[in-house]
Amino acid sequence: MVVALWLLAGGAAAGLFGSLLGLGGGVLLVPLLTLGFGLDLRAAVGVSLVSVIMTSSAAAGVYLERNVANLRLGMTLELFTAIGALVGGLIAVLIDERLLAILFAVLLVYVAITMLRARAPAREGVTVRDDIDVGDDPHDTRSAPFDGLDVQSAALAGLSGDSYTVRHLGRGIVGSTGAGVVSALLGIGGGIIKVPLMHVGMGVPLRVATATSNLMIGITAAASSIIYLLHGEIDPYLAGPVAIGVFVGATLGSRIAHRIPLRYLTLAFVVVLLWTALQMFLKAL
Amino acid sequence: MTARHDPHSHFERRLGRLMIVLTYVAVGFLAVGVILMVRAEVSPMAEAPPFDPRQVWSDLLTLQPDGYLWTGLLIVIVTPISRVAGAAVGYVQRREPIMALVSVAILAVIAISLALAIATS
Repeated sequence: MVVALWLLAGGAAAGLFGSLLGLGGGVLLVPLLTLGFGLDLRAAVGVSLVSVIMTSSAAAGVYLERNVANLRLGMTLELFTAIGALVGGLIAVLIDERLLAILFAVLLVYVAITMLRARAPAREGVTVRDDIDVGDDPHDTRSAPFDGLDVQSAALAGLSGDSYTVRHLGRGIVGSTGAGVVSALLGIGGGIIKVPLMHVGMGVPLRVATATSNLMIGITAAASSIIYLLHGEIDPYLAGPVAIGVFVGATLGSRIAHRIPLRYLTLAFVVVLLWTALQMFLKAL
Repeated sequence: MTARHDPHSHFERRLGRLMIVLTYVAVGFLAVGVILMVRAEVSPMAEAPPFDPRQVWSDLLTLQPDGYLWTGLLIVIVTPISRVAGAAVGYVQRREPIMALVSVAILAVIAISLALAIATS
């Protein structure tokens, strides 16, 4: 009873902070389950994948209803994240758990650095402002929308929105495949890779990139969770309370996000991420 | 793939609604499963029985927590897949062959995941 409540509370905390900080719950959940509850890493990844699908499905449903997500772009890229997730899911059951822990620690450091850079003013051209429409930059000759009859231009035109033009589809395909592999290996949604990839790399406005990433996360995690499920790596007694907790926390987070000053929360969170990365490294050694 | 992103697509809204409904149904099953688990004093750290599709239905009928938890988890996993299947039907109806093909290709990758998982488990 007490453990179930702790799992619910832990899941809720992961969902809440993940939602407030724009991360999926997986980045927080896997360290929580391994370091806090003593689960082995693969079991934690299995539980995390289910929780990630649940929160991303709820969010993606709302984004689709409100017509924020770009379904065509999301589906085109998720074909490649699903292939990456399939490969990652197969690799994950074969490789040493200590190597997985090291990879997760590296991921945490990457997320911490990304969050620190996002806090800084947009002096490097990487912006997190929601109102910027990267694809409409008139000085960017790479965009060149509808300037030819070649296949790629036609494809990009079909994937673009009314107010922006998608570019660099090849970059998106390669990045999405990599995000799928990482997601399956480490039990994360992969939004931390997909959102910058679409926003900075492909010229998709941040709001659309976030919504479209949520769509893709579900299929990415579903492809690998099937492998985890049939290999007995998803424990229903653990996944049930954690998934409900994450769902409740993420729902609450999305409602109160606009009232919370995120500046110091982000900084504190970066410290927690780096500390967790250190613990994961020590666990692996 | 020449059609531009339709800003008021009824079809996309329906897919969104499908995902929301399935998510809430999954949460419902998982919540019942957790309540039954607590009532039966099953510790979350106890070893869970392996997934057996033949057992799920009888567990549901006899109010066993495992049946509700597995059903909830399966609905969670199926939700994004059903969105892709729905999109495939929608794109066929809208005569967008390339997007229909992309949808079917995603479903094929999922099917390969399933086949490989069965083969290697």
